[in-house]
Amino acid sequence: MISFPGIDFFMVLAVYIIIFLIITLSYNLAYGYTGIPDFGRAMAAGAGGFLCGYFPGRLAARMLGIKGDYLEQVIVVVDKVNLALEQSPALSIGILILSLIVGFIVAGSLGLFASLPIFRGIRLFYLGVTLLSIQISFNTIIYHWEPIIRGEHGVPVPDPFRWLTRYNLFGLSPGQMRALGMIVASTIVLVITWYFCTSLARSPAGRLLKAVRDDEKCIEALGRDVKRLYVKVMVLSYALTGMAGVLFAYYQGYIIGLHFERVTWTFWPIAMVILGGLASNKGTVLGTALFITMKRLITFYKRDLEGFLPFSPVWLDGLLLGVSLIILLIYAPRGLVPEKPELTIKRSDIERLRREVLRTEEDLD
Amino acid sequence: MIHILPPLISHSIVFANTIALMAISSTLTLSKTNVPNFAVATFGTVGIYIAFTCVKLIGLGLYLSIPFCFFGGGVVGVLTYLLVIKPLRKRGATSEELMISTLALDIFLIALINIYADYLTRSFKIMARDFTFSVYDKQIFGMDGVFVISTSLFFLIFIALHLLFTRTNLGVAMKAMGEKPFLAECDGVNTELLYLITWFIAGALPALAGVFFPVYWISNPTISLFVVVTVFSGCVLGGFTTMYDSALGGYIVAIAQTALVSYLSSIFGSWILSYNFLVPLLTMIVVIFVLPEGIKGLKWEKLAEILHREGIPR
Repeated sequence: MISFPGIDFFMVLAVYIIIFLIITLSYNLAYGYTGIPDFGRAMAAGAGGFLCGYFPGRLAARMLGIKGDYLEQVIVVVDKVNLALEQSPALSIGILILSLIVGFIVAGSLGLFASLPIFRGIRLFYLGVTLLSIQISFNTIIYHWEPIIRGEHGVPVPDPFRWLTRYNLFGLSPGQMRALGMIVASTIVLVITWYFCTSLARSPAGRLLKAVRDDEKCIEALGRDVKRLYVKVMVLSYALTGMAGVLFAYYQGYIIGLHFERVTWTFWPIAMVILGGLASNKGTVLGTALFITMKRLITFYKRDLEGFLPFSPVWLDGLLLGVSLIILLIYAPRGLVPEKPELTIKRSDIERLRREVLRTEEDLD
Repeated sequence: MIHILPPLISHSIVFANTIALMAISSTLTLSKTNVPNFAVATFGTVGIYIAFTCVKLIGLGLYLSIPFCFFGGGVVGVLTYLLVIKPLRKRGATSEELMISTLALDIFLIALINIYADYLTRSFKIMARDFTFSVYDKQIFGMDGVFVISTSLFFLIFIALHLLFTRTNLGVAMKAMGEKPFLAECDGVNTELLYLITWFIAGALPALAGVFFPVYWISNPTISLFVVVTVFSGCVLGGFTTMYDSALGGYIVAIAQTALVSYLSSIFGSWILSYNFLVPLLTMIVVIFVLPEGIKGLKWEKLAEILHREGIPR
């Protein structure tokens, strides 16, 4: 018998959609608006996520005076930290906000490092290759270098939403209360990201980014420093994605060196942005919601699918992603909500000017 | 059995042959068809699994599977062109879109190979993940067969491609197509056929390399993830221009990744071996910042002058 998703499914779905929206909106800024083929996006999310495995636990342990070698006794130490966080909403919120800020700064710095090859004037294709390689190497370093997050063993992450489990709103269970807290916190970050991305898109700076994407040489000829612009976009875009990584780490509660791999954190966001429509924030929202819902449904019905598939359903993810991306690129490259032309004056004014020009031409005839 | 070659040398050379074949393939698709192929290393995994099928299911010898891998890889290359690249080119896709399409193909192929590995495991009860072909290798003149055969085949293919590109009309037409496809078409060149041939070669070379890789290294459907950085690093060092530069670049990076790291581990300790993947990354970064044109951009005269000043005769 086929089971139907319950409230837990929809809460998890909401968390995933919100976190990925932060990533896709910031990716849209880099690829959709500016045309940077960034294949290292997973690294930005990883910077935030791995940071949560490294920094807040140590900081909280020091603040609370918890003794012992952090990495050797990480489970005991984080348990003690969580007990303290459960009693103190202020400390929990403080740690969450601080992690988001540090994640923003660290991921932004990584964006600066990743965009340095741009200054050498390399082709964008080279940049794509380089970013993909840097990302793979970044993940392998985290995986092998135990002092950061114990590599493949991973570390638990302090839970800044634990204090919510003491309350019981609308008959929600402790786990659901935690998820609710996660949704609220992620939504706040999403609103900031949305406001930033849409404001930038509507501003002259947004039009400049599109112009760079359409004809880089022309903008250079007009005296703008295109390389600097690329770097600024990369730094901002990476910084925003870093916050999504922080939120994901807190949601997971445990981080290992295998997290933030390229398929989920780079290629899925690319597919979501292309499905929605490049340089279209509304389209990005739609593309992200559709892809994440499909992905979560596959995960939810994994056991049912296992019965009649001759292979593990986990591979359906890759198959669907690959096929849908190729079909989208061939048949719907502009996405579900295509990019609209940027109007610097109102449409009614354009129509009035058009009529005036036509009238003048008729008069001349 | 006496081994003439130390294992480190044969391992390094076999790895270099594998990487150089893939680097040539990658440069071919970029220079002749203007498509940056991110699925090049996964074409190699296709070769690994064709060889696996030949050896484990059909019972062929390892080296008898070479023609099957070559043609099987070639067919995958041709299908890639017909089903992905050609429709995209027809609608005027940008170079970034072509790049993303090969990334999508990479993910699709990895998923497909994983499904095939699941099928082999469930239907035939054979271990289709984390395997090696070491037991199927034979000694030739006191050396590992994989070393002799991969090196001979690499140089044979290299010479064949050199002759194809420099001594035949087909090669000249391919060069023209790579530089100005519209002008080549105006001149009566059948670019469609040339694209097909290029993609056949681009699929066949990595798949052929896939036969040799599992002899020394444990292989699985996601092995391409670990190889792709070395391939691109070789291409970047070669400048992504000609197959000669790419082959040389691939050779240098692959040998540095194996032999150099092994040497360093004897000085600093074995922990350094886990970080051997940093060699291609560092090479790529150094090349991009110091030599953005790759080996091609090296000023040999200036280098000779510096060496001369240091007392080394010209």
